[in-house]
Amino acid sequence: MSQVLLDLKKISFCTQNDYILKNIDLSINHGDKIALLGKSGSGKTTLISILNGTIEPSQGSYRIFNKQFRDLTKEEKISIGTVWQDLRLIEDFSAEQNVNCGLLGKESFIFAINNLLNICSFQEAHRYMQICKLNKSIFDKNIKNISGGQRQRIAIARAIIQEPNILFADEPFNNLDPKITIYLKDLLLNGKFINKFKKPKTIIVSLHRLDLLDGFNRVLGIRNGQIIFNLRKENLKTYHLKKIY
Amino acid sequence: MYKLKLNPTSLSFLPILIFIPICINLINNIHFGGINLISEFILSAFMPKINISILITVFNRLNETVLMAISSWFFSIIFGIILGILSSNILYEILDLPIIFGKLIKIILTLIRSINEIIWGLLLMQIYGINISVGIISICIPYIAINAKVINEQLDIIDRKIIESILKINGNKLSSLLTLIWNPLLETIRNFGFYRLECALRSTTILGLFGLGGIGTSIYLSFKALSFRELWTYLWSLGLLLIIFKFIFKFNVIKRVNFKVSFFTCLVLFTLSICSLFYFFEFLLAPSYAIKYSINNLYLLRKDFISYNFLKLIFETILLSISASAIAISLPPFLSIVLINKFWRYFVSGLSFFFRLIPPPITILILLMFNEPSISLAALSLGIYNASIINKLLTKNLNYVELDQVIALDAIGAKKRISWLYGLFSKQAKSYLIYCLYRTDILIRDTALVGIIGSIGLGWQLQESISSFAWEEVSIILLSYSLIVIIGELINDKIKKNLI
Repeated sequence: MSQVLLDLKKISFCTQNDYILKNIDLSINHGDKIALLGKSGSGKTTLISILNGTIEPSQGSYRIFNKQFRDLTKEEKISIGTVWQDLRLIEDFSAEQNVNCGLLGKESFIFAINNLLNICSFQEAHRYMQICKLNKSIFDKNIKNISGGQRQRIAIARAIIQEPNILFADEPFNNLDPKITIYLKDLLLNGKFINKFKKPKTIIVSLHRLDLLDGFNRVLGIRNGQIIFNLRKENLKTYHLKKIY
Repeated sequence: MYKLKLNPTSLSFLPILIFIPICINLINNIHFGGINLISEFILSAFMPKINISILITVFNRLNETVLMAISSWFFSIIFGIILGILSSNILYEILDLPIIFGKLIKIILTLIRSINEIIWGLLLMQIYGINISVGIISICIPYIAINAKVINEQLDIIDRKIIESILKINGNKLSSLLTLIWNPLLETIRNFGFYRLECALRSTTILGLFGLGGIGTSIYLSFKALSFRELWTYLWSLGLLLIIFKFIFKFNVIKRVNFKVSFFTCLVLFTLSICSLFYFFEFLLAPSYAIKYSINNLYLLRKDFISYNFLKLIFETILLSISASAIAISLPPFLSIVLINKFWRYFVSGLSFFFRLIPPPITILILLMFNEPSISLAALSLGIYNASIINKLLTKNLNYVELDQVIALDAIGAKKRISWLYGLFSKQAKSYLIYCLYRTDILIRDTALVGIIGSIGLGWQLQESISSFAWEEVSIILLSYSLIVIIGELINDKIKKNLI
């Protein structure tokens, strides 16, 4: 039997006037690979923000590793990675400096200074950038001067260099061409193609493209802040999708 | 029924109306005793005195000025950075410390900043006598607070989303803090730090006018002796120095130096500054008869203390601030639209360089040659000086505005002035007004300066009180000054927020 990793009970999140999430009950097990589907504005990003501890729910309880988020140890926190929808890269840094930021949890303060001064080793960053199919020519380029698709892959590289056990990815395949999209999806879900790459064991990805559902074992459908369905992938039918789109 | 609706463009022009009461007042107070002196002063600009002995004096005086300016600039940058970080919200958020410490530091810095470096200079000079350290310390005190404010503002606008994303990596707290603040800090120093060096040069010159040495003292002494040709030698040499410094800013040394070298240089300079700090503390805390005397008398309030019209002085200071601000804000766009063609534009640029060169206390002394001391006269000298600085920025910014709207207006046959107003100025009127408000904060602090020379407001009374060691009066005047400056800043902040 699978062990419960994340457990949400009666979770709601509201702003001053509006409920963004309403009474969400959800359990995620170790090793789950979940696709989160829903229209824009349905609450996917808010749900991911609650799951990774960025925001606290207005109501309900959320446990991860059988603890409240604030009680997690540093190691447990480091084992959670996020690819943000808006990427959140540091504009004044180079691509490799941004990727190295993913190592801040594991490395020392001296590493942080060296990364700022551009005098640290970028070997690990380069390896992960190459894993994400980034060309060598952009390694030392300022983040301002590179394309949307490349920025997207840098954000993914920053998340996976952290070697997280749990990865939350909010629309991680935006701006990517079809070939790279399939490659990165297989990489994140199965660790295909690459040796010495520690793939995340549990992954929750919000998606818009239904053709990318292969490889996920569960699908969550969300509409107007409520979970409409929570199924094994093979049980997903067209009428389920009609309910959320 | 028409309803008056103000926008940034009209708000930039409207204050020009202040010239009506000012001109009436100046015409009423005019006298022609100094007309010959004025013409001599203007003509001397084209025939500065040049001989070996004066060149040696210029060299020595500029050396003193540069030494004082660079030292005070350097210390104020280093300690400004430290205090800027200590007062920023991001530090307390990341390190999980009570934010009350940051707020407390902010309040103390606001109080320190509200008092002009010249007042600090006069105070310290009275206690410690004329000494180069007094000059450096008195510039450092408000400059540290100003730099800390600017750095603090930049750190507090770091994107929340970036902060969240770095915090979610759960690195060492200091690593996260450093990663987040490093670039905003460097950018602020690049964009603002070197400008502060120019300010330090000007402040050193003005302190010199009050006897603290450097080129300022030579300017003041030659003015007093009415040796205008000699005076212009000093003024032009100061102008040349400013141009050299500007060239260095343009070259932007910090961008070209290897990162490792600059980091280790910073470390060495930081260590040096910490050592110097001890020296300055020792200097400030050295036993002095004046300090003991001052402290003993500080709380012995005399019965005749309110013998002077205190409220009148406060009112004069506020009026002076408002009038000078109105001149500084409205004059640059007004002159630009009236003198629209190329020749006049160059003329205005030259004139503004000329007025930036002459410190406001000297401007007011020149104006006093043909006018009685009045608020209008003080407002004019302070307003023109600040207008010349604002004009420089306006000209620079207008060069970056895209010309699409001007071309569209030209195409429909609009006149040159209309194209300029609607196509160029209106596009950046909002940022112009925001910069003007920043400048106004500085201007209010400077009212003390022209007040001392022009016998106006609290500045004049302050000098009287300092000279007679009446520390109880000095402390009350300083408190009033701080209040005026802080209230002015609060009003400006409110307007800035509305504009943004």
